[in-house]
Amino acid sequence: MSVRIERRLRQPRWLSVVVPLGSVAFAFVTIAIVLAATGHNPAHTFAKLFQSAFTDSGALSATLVSATPLAFTGLAAAAAFRMNLFNIGAEGQLYFGVIGAIAIAVVLGDGVAKPVTIAAMCVAGAAAGAAWAAIPGVLRAFARTNEIITSLMLNYVAALVLNYLIFDSHSYWRDTTSPSAAVFPQGKAIPDAATWPFATIGGIAGGIAVPLGLGIAAVVGTALWVLYKHTRFGFELQVIADSPRAARYAGMRTRRKILAVMCISGAIAGLGGAAQVGNFDHLLDPRSLQQQLFGYSGIVVAALARYNPFAVVVIAVLLGGLKNAGFALQGVDFPSGLVGVMQGIFLFSVLGGEILVRYRVRLFRPGRVSRTEPAA
Amino acid sequence: MNNGIFVVVLASAVAYGTPLLYAALGELLAERSGVLNLGVEGMMLVGAAMGFWAVQKIGGPSGLVLPLAVGVAALAGALLALVHAFLVITLRASQIVSGLALTIFAGALGLSSYLGNDLKLADVPANHAFHAANLFGLQDIPVVGPVVFGQTWLVYVSWLCVVLVALYLSRTRPGLNVRAVGESPQAADAMGIDVVAYRYAHTLAGGAFAGVGGACFSLAITPQWTNDLTGGAGWIAIALVIFAFWRPDLCLVGAYFFGAFQALPFQLQARGILTQVPPEVFSALPYVMTVVVLVLVSSGIAKRRLGAPGSLGIPYVREER
Amino acid sequence: MACRGITKRFPGVLANDRVDFDAIEGEVHALLGENGAGKSTLSNILTGLYRADEGELEIHGQPVAFHSPRDALDAGICMVHQHFRLVEPFTVAENVILGDHRDVGRSFRIDPRAIERRVAELGQRYGLAIDPRARIWQLSVGEQQRVEILKALYREARVLILDEPTAVLTPQEASELFVTLRAMAAEGRTVIFISHKLHEVMAVADRVTVLRRGCSIATVPVGETSSRALAALMVGRELEGSKPHQRQTVGDVVLSVEGLWADGDRGVAAVKDVSLEVRGGEIVGIAGVAGNGQRELAETITGLRSASDGVVRVDGVALRNGDPRAAIHARVAHIPEDRLHTGVAPSLSIASNVVLKSYREDAHSRGPMLRLRAIGDRATRLIKQFDVHTSGPHVPARQLSGGNLQKVVIGREFMGTPRVVIAAAPTRGLDVGAIESVHAYLRDASELNVAVLLISEDLDEILALADRIVVLYEGHIAGEVDADVATVEEIGLLMAGGHAG
Repeated sequence: MSVRIERRLRQPRWLSVVVPLGSVAFAFVTIAIVLAATGHNPAHTFAKLFQSAFTDSGALSATLVSATPLAFTGLAAAAAFRMNLFNIGAEGQLYFGVIGAIAIAVVLGDGVAKPVTIAAMCVAGAAAGAAWAAIPGVLRAFARTNEIITSLMLNYVAALVLNYLIFDSHSYWRDTTSPSAAVFPQGKAIPDAATWPFATIGGIAGGIAVPLGLGIAAVVGTALWVLYKHTRFGFELQVIADSPRAARYAGMRTRRKILAVMCISGAIAGLGGAAQVGNFDHLLDPRSLQQQLFGYSGIVVAALARYNPFAVVVIAVLLGGLKNAGFALQGVDFPSGLVGVMQGIFLFSVLGGEILVRYRVRLFRPGRVSRTEPAA
Repeated sequence: MNNGIFVVVLASAVAYGTPLLYAALGELLAERSGVLNLGVEGMMLVGAAMGFWAVQKIGGPSGLVLPLAVGVAALAGALLALVHAFLVITLRASQIVSGLALTIFAGALGLSSYLGNDLKLADVPANHAFHAANLFGLQDIPVVGPVVFGQTWLVYVSWLCVVLVALYLSRTRPGLNVRAVGESPQAADAMGIDVVAYRYAHTLAGGAFAGVGGACFSLAITPQWTNDLTGGAGWIAIALVIFAFWRPDLCLVGAYFFGAFQALPFQLQARGILTQVPPEVFSALPYVMTVVVLVLVSSGIAKRRLGAPGSLGIPYVREER
Repeated sequence: MACRGITKRFPGVLANDRVDFDAIEGEVHALLGENGAGKSTLSNILTGLYRADEGELEIHGQPVAFHSPRDALDAGICMVHQHFRLVEPFTVAENVILGDHRDVGRSFRIDPRAIERRVAELGQRYGLAIDPRARIWQLSVGEQQRVEILKALYREARVLILDEPTAVLTPQEASELFVTLRAMAAEGRTVIFISHKLHEVMAVADRVTVLRRGCSIATVPVGETSSRALAALMVGRELEGSKPHQRQTVGDVVLSVEGLWADGDRGVAAVKDVSLEVRGGEIVGIAGVAGNGQRELAETITGLRSASDGVVRVDGVALRNGDPRAAIHARVAHIPEDRLHTGVAPSLSIASNVVLKSYREDAHSRGPMLRLRAIGDRATRLIKQFDVHTSGPHVPARQLSGGNLQKVVIGREFMGTPRVVIAAAPTRGLDVGAIESVHAYLRDASELNVAVLLISEDLDEILALADRIVVLYEGHIAGEVDADVATVEEIGLLMAGGHAG
């Protein structure tokens, strides 16, 4: 007996539902084995995990907070990866979104109406993110430079820019007046007019606070879906992604489209930075931003969602829950690092499961001989 | 003279460059067989954690424990690479996404941190660590002494590895075969070379090298376990392979070049030189240089001639129709 | 060597159906069949690349099972693939020794000098002179084929399989190859020669096995049969003689190319000072051995490649250099050589591919938005009009067979009412039925006063369709002949760079 893998001629629709679900189930079993092997009780951990992610009082609100930046970086990754443009620079593009949004918020101060300030922060954050993404975008489109490495290298540069702004200069973003800033360098807080609101849903135990940022992410996701499915621009992107040669043959301007996609991706990540500042951080905090790895986790979100914008938002909430629970439970119940391990195992399972959608695995018995008379 | 900034930077360039060199040699082997592994950072971190765990747990003289610990680190890296190899070679998953998944799985928020906590590695001094070897007692001669003869054994072994990998690729049959597999798996397959076996073997070797690279941090540079102690060295190693045009000898030059830029800001600050230039500028130079070099080498025709393996990143499927 | 009841299924296709044949030592045995008859699949089974679902192979009466190409190589079977299996950045010598493990213990190390010497000796002995230090990408296609044969000789192959080896050669080079093959057979080796060209089989083979639709139909000695009988076996019916070519009344010059130069992928000039004119209602054939600038010429005319000098005019208006959109606006239809990756976006639906060039028009989009229903209707119309066999417009293009895919491409190009049609290798890899309909579409186009430029390596096709034949050699025009009076020999001479006498 041997195993043979054949390409499927038709990909039945049910497979694209069953296979990911099966992969996730497989992942849970694997994680349970890992937990048990390292002396933790899997059932207990999973239960705790679920409680502190979703059902404890205030847990869901906290989960949505964790989910918001992931939704943005997930959408940023999905927008680019769909095009076979591997922008893994959402991390740095988000940093620049933070820088841009804070700058405009501080400039406008308290004198301007909240909606205007928020809109200005969105525009500034998106523009800053897009500008940072335009560097690998231009290099890829016009110099055919691999965008994976360049966007990645620029993440480190962006992180150093953050450090410079707060720790090694008296920049516009640094707080130099408050007493605590004299002890340890910290960022300037944005004015109250620039803080983003939450919508409260339901009345039980204080209700669930939905950040404005998550709402904007859902709108961006819908816009992306329309863009890809229903517009000429989206059609061109599909062709370019599938076969660049066919796109050129059809007279499409591939370079401009590549640059445009990188900028869209960067703008979404930058918007995520604006939301992070407006809804939660309220100031530039390099350490916290760099520890969260929003950009890289966004790639996980996008890959698990198979680059579908709606699924990205859902997966972001699920992984946000995982992350939130990780914070809440750190200690004996929940070993540190488990969040990354679980994300990794989910990704491996879903990636490995893909093959079942594209290919058929058949068991095959070799050596069966059938003799027949030669045809005349 | 020996404490002049030039000598100190040079000596620490070699020290800081060594983990980059190991990891880059490993990635080079994997990429020469056609497998791109973006999980280097994760493999290095787990290698660092497991190497450190080994020196804490294994008893005996340093001369025995340290090589064993390096072996443990290599094994850990190889095991992680096996996951990647299975996904991308057997299951034909996207090499890019799988590599990123590996980094997230094993990286600073993943397995390495899990191991660090579960095995209680943090905040304890190392029982054994690599120290300057003072080769032939020549450490004290000016300039060359500290740079060449005052390094740890990990450095000398890395030089040996560069020579061995270079000879392997250019002068042996398996080396010829692996280059063929990376360039044109169809041609290699038709000539009876087992593409899958070659790709597995070199991806695993790449993981082992990355593990050793990680161990350089926890056993020689720090020497301690702290979370995320590699600080992005794995990513630089990936860039380094391109920087070096997929050639082992140039990996050595590039690794020390990058190492120097990592060491430079500390030294400048410590000596109060060039204080008007923010230290971030020097720290950013390796990344910016990588981007610049990448742009220079990626103009179409130059790319083929400079050695990017022809089938890098592309799964090989024999019965494709 | 013998095959017994070899069966191989691919998803959705039965590629080989109980194939039997045997080849003896010292003979040149031809496998004859049209495209899609299962010749390549069979040879891939013989060399261990594929595994048969049923049936067995025998060598010297002993059953053998190949699990990988290595097993076949160890059994002395070597193959020269249609698309060469060479490592381009490697030297000739490195390619020749690649994968050879017979003396692995002794020669773990490689000594390039010694290897180069051995390869040079081998080349001299068989009259396959070639510089062992040259890199593959520096060699011409004919030279690359010699490297492939050297590989087999170096391994002392008992059985050499060649898959369509003459496709890349001039008629003269082909006859040189035949001499080499006969010499190898005379040494007691077995040569299996795969082709769909009758006259080649008649010229070189001792015996011939005819394949049709995956089945082996018959094995006959060449001396006891005729081209006509073989053709009937191959196609399964009597072939009608090719229709007498009817000369169109030609109109004004539609496409004119003046002093065109363009670089190839390697940065050296691939199209050199080409000037030609095609009139409305005229079919001009471009003949030449593969790789002599035909692809680059087609790409330059259609704007896919930038010209370094010269100009392309349609109806007297110069096209913007290097801009495919300019050619599309001038209604230059292009049936590209690489239909799966250039002609269509393979993963997208038929509907998307039908509007690949016309999605910008008002009929298919309103402002930035696509009119998906109108696009679907257009695709349904094309499927009906051009008789595409498929379950609907939403099927991804890659799932279509070669013939149906080509119908989608041709349908899309012809629905745009073209002024000029550039058809590059439009029938490569298609079966007889599809070839006939492609030819019919091209004839129809010329009857509608369209200027047709037909680029093909298949001389028979060009002779059957074209009014005039222009021969390309190393990027420049080697000569032009009238299709009514030209002979194969005359064109062959031009293809090899000679001058028409």
